[in-house]
Amino acid sequence: MTDIPLTAAPSAGLSAFPRRGAAALALVLAALVAVPVAVGNPFIYHVFITICVFAALSTAWNIVGGYAGQLSLGHGIFYGLGAYCGMLLVGAGISPWIGMVAGAALAMLVALAISYPCFRLHGPFFSLATIAFLEVFRVLALHFRDLTGGATGLMIPLKFGWAWMVFRDRWPPLAIAFGLLLLTLAVAWWMRTHRIGFYLVATRERESAARAAGVPTVGTRLVAVAVSGALTAMVGTFHAMYLTFIEPAAVFSLTLSIQIAMFALIGGLGTVFGPLLGAVLLVPITELARGWLGAKALGLHGLVYGLVLVLVVLFLPNGLMGLVSRFTRAGAGTRGVQAGTVAAAPRAAERRPLGEAVIRVEGLQKRFGGLHVTNDVGFTLREGEILGLIGPNGAGKTTVFNMISGFLKPDAGSVSVRAPDGTWHSPGRPADFAALGVGRTFQIVQPFAAMTVEENIMVGAFYRHRDVREAREVARETAERMGLAPWLGSEARGLTIGGLKRLEVARVMAMRPRVLLLDEVMAGINQTDVRRAIDLMLSIRDTGVSIIAIEHVMQAVMALSDRVIVLSSGQIIAQGSPQDVVRDAAVIEAYLGKEFVHAHA
Amino acid sequence: MDVFLQVLANGVMLGGLFAIVSVGLTLIFGIVKVVNFAHGEFLMVGMYLTYLAVSGLGLHPFAAVILVVPVLFLLGALTQRFLIQPLLAAGDHHIQIFATVGLSTVLINLALLVFGADIANTPPSGLRQPLQIGPVRVLLGQVVILGTAILLVAGLQTFLARTRTGRAIRAVAQNRAAAELMGIDVNRIYALTFGIGAACVGVAAVLIAPLYPTSPNSGTYFVLIAFVVVVLGGLGSIRGAFVGAILIGLIDSVTGFYVGADMREVAVFGVFLAILILKPSGLFGRQLRLSHVSP
Repeated sequence: MTDIPLTAAPSAGLSAFPRRGAAALALVLAALVAVPVAVGNPFIYHVFITICVFAALSTAWNIVGGYAGQLSLGHGIFYGLGAYCGMLLVGAGISPWIGMVAGAALAMLVALAISYPCFRLHGPFFSLATIAFLEVFRVLALHFRDLTGGATGLMIPLKFGWAWMVFRDRWPPLAIAFGLLLLTLAVAWWMRTHRIGFYLVATRERESAARAAGVPTVGTRLVAVAVSGALTAMVGTFHAMYLTFIEPAAVFSLTLSIQIAMFALIGGLGTVFGPLLGAVLLVPITELARGWLGAKALGLHGLVYGLVLVLVVLFLPNGLMGLVSRFTRAGAGTRGVQAGTVAAAPRAAERRPLGEAVIRVEGLQKRFGGLHVTNDVGFTLREGEILGLIGPNGAGKTTVFNMISGFLKPDAGSVSVRAPDGTWHSPGRPADFAALGVGRTFQIVQPFAAMTVEENIMVGAFYRHRDVREAREVARETAERMGLAPWLGSEARGLTIGGLKRLEVARVMAMRPRVLLLDEVMAGINQTDVRRAIDLMLSIRDTGVSIIAIEHVMQAVMALSDRVIVLSSGQIIAQGSPQDVVRDAAVIEAYLGKEFVHAHA
Repeated sequence: MDVFLQVLANGVMLGGLFAIVSVGLTLIFGIVKVVNFAHGEFLMVGMYLTYLAVSGLGLHPFAAVILVVPVLFLLGALTQRFLIQPLLAAGDHHIQIFATVGLSTVLINLALLVFGADIANTPPSGLRQPLQIGPVRVLLGQVVILGTAILLVAGLQTFLARTRTGRAIRAVAQNRAAAELMGIDVNRIYALTFGIGAACVGVAAVLIAPLYPTSPNSGTYFVLIAFVVVVLGGLGSIRGAFVGAILIGLIDSVTGFYVGADMREVAVFGVFLAILILKPSGLFGRQLRLSHVSP
């Protein structure tokens, strides 16, 4: 039997990109400073300062909108808070540099307060909520005119010098804008290449799988909005000083918020340097249209923005960066790769005796409306044991899994897990289960589709290894073991179902769990690999891991299980050794019906 | 007391206005499952068309319906066909949001280029005439809007419940794949629904233009309120949108009179945020039942 290739055209790694990419990036950044200094024209200075400002805003937005996938259309709030904080403190005789820090701190608090309740909203609803908050801020800024100057706006007192961030020369504001851009880029790059970035993208792609991998999904996203809000506010303070005038309608502005998001989407959502690219290409259109055509061209730049946005959405959903990487990878990715196989695992010569109980389940009950899906289910799993969980479709196997991994709260009954130190715990949320070393896979595979195979496994590995290099090492080893090594650099969405099933197991294995919950991992794997997968499971068990496996492939159930539990209509109808269970009349009836039992009797 | 009744009457009239703008939005969301951020710009386009028809061709605003409604139907159907349909397969909300945000940006700026930033006032043609009903005084045009909103809601409900096409539309909304297997041309139904939703906002535009000034940004204000209304009523529920609109109209009017005109939006958006966060299914929305298989 031949192995089925897991993916049509695995692309080679990104190794070709970084060097050329870094050179291109350095060139763009150098040009942002060099061109205005060389030309020396005030208008050109203005255009380039504006590019830096919007590139920084957009890069900061991308941490939330791109990495975390929470499409905020309210970033004007943070920009405005920074602007007003700076302005008001300058009015009180305090340097805008302090205002910048104060604005960032305030924006951070507001970002946390706004986002926490909004994280349960997805897709367009999150966007709508951010728009509503933006409107509230705008109206409040108009209302409290004693503080904000209301609709008339605020003007800075013209005090020149570095302390006041207002200059006669053209180059200092460019230097500050460029510095802020470098800062946001550095933060965005750092986040994307470290654990938090992986966690954010994983949460964006599949929240439940991320939680199963022990990702603190809410906390991670709160950090992201706080950082994004703070950076946006800092740019806001500078921009207010640069423009010397602000008003509520201009800073708490939906148009501005949309523009910030737009540059990121056009450049490449979720990429580190996409927003920079988007701003570099689009901002000059606005400024040139304003500078050259004046009032005649009212709406022209907006029209161009809108058209570019629509075209990018339709034809380049990964933005300009997607185009760039398609271009640079074109030559490298198409060579055929031999299908990988699950590595034949060396088996220990002698099996260790079963240890103490690690999971105790008692009297679980669950109803969905009138349907009694789990009725008084209880069992114990011992250390080093493999427990097979079988039963006909709809028997409630996955529901039991969801309750013993924290994804579903039982109506009654308890699930206790023994910690390595011997104490018993009753974990509640998926994160608590993960902390006790319970890892699970999903029957309906939940890959982080936009991440590579390696990155997928790394999300699991990060649970034990904070360091990126170590996590990568663990991911590679695990991939090797699971026969996924040839696809380390391919995006998970390119894998076939068999490959995705392996990826599920690899991700949870990288967490080094003590208890493994496997939900139909053999389905869709070919015969050769079932054999190898069985050996792999046995070798995992021999390292002291306890396993509960829901499985329909009887070959695997028979070969693996020390004990089998049969569920039917939410109840345990039989349990015992695999050989006994398959001969049990009640089990045969559950699978094949009464007539079959009578026919054989 | 009379003052309070007048405030309530204003609220109900405003509610009628919000309802007529929101009906199309909730229909499109309920069926095509797309939040159309360009809905307000459809309204703005309709208002400019009405302005042109009334002040250019000398038509009565009501007669402009014959022009405006078909044009908006076409605009909606084309949007669905060429902008949304290619993105439905991707199932990526981000991209869909940006698609309609992009369309909205295009339409606003196109209007700026063509008409400039100045306000266009459609001749009121008698619709600003006050009516005395008992102790309260309202404008004729406002009563027409409220009446039309009621007719539109009732008409759409009947259309969806009774006609063959209406049933097909509901079938597509409930299960796209199953409807396709039953031989329904899903893409045609989507384009039709989007067209009907846009046509509804066309009716709204014709009635609103004589009462409110038209500018490139006219749509932005109305669409934000329409989102509030639609979320409050339960996304996709036409009856809910009507009730939500009246409620928001009353909140707007009462806050505006008793708290301060500039605090109306804070109250309205405050209600919106509370509903979004605490009861995202809205007042009349169906509870979304999650499958137990994939947690």
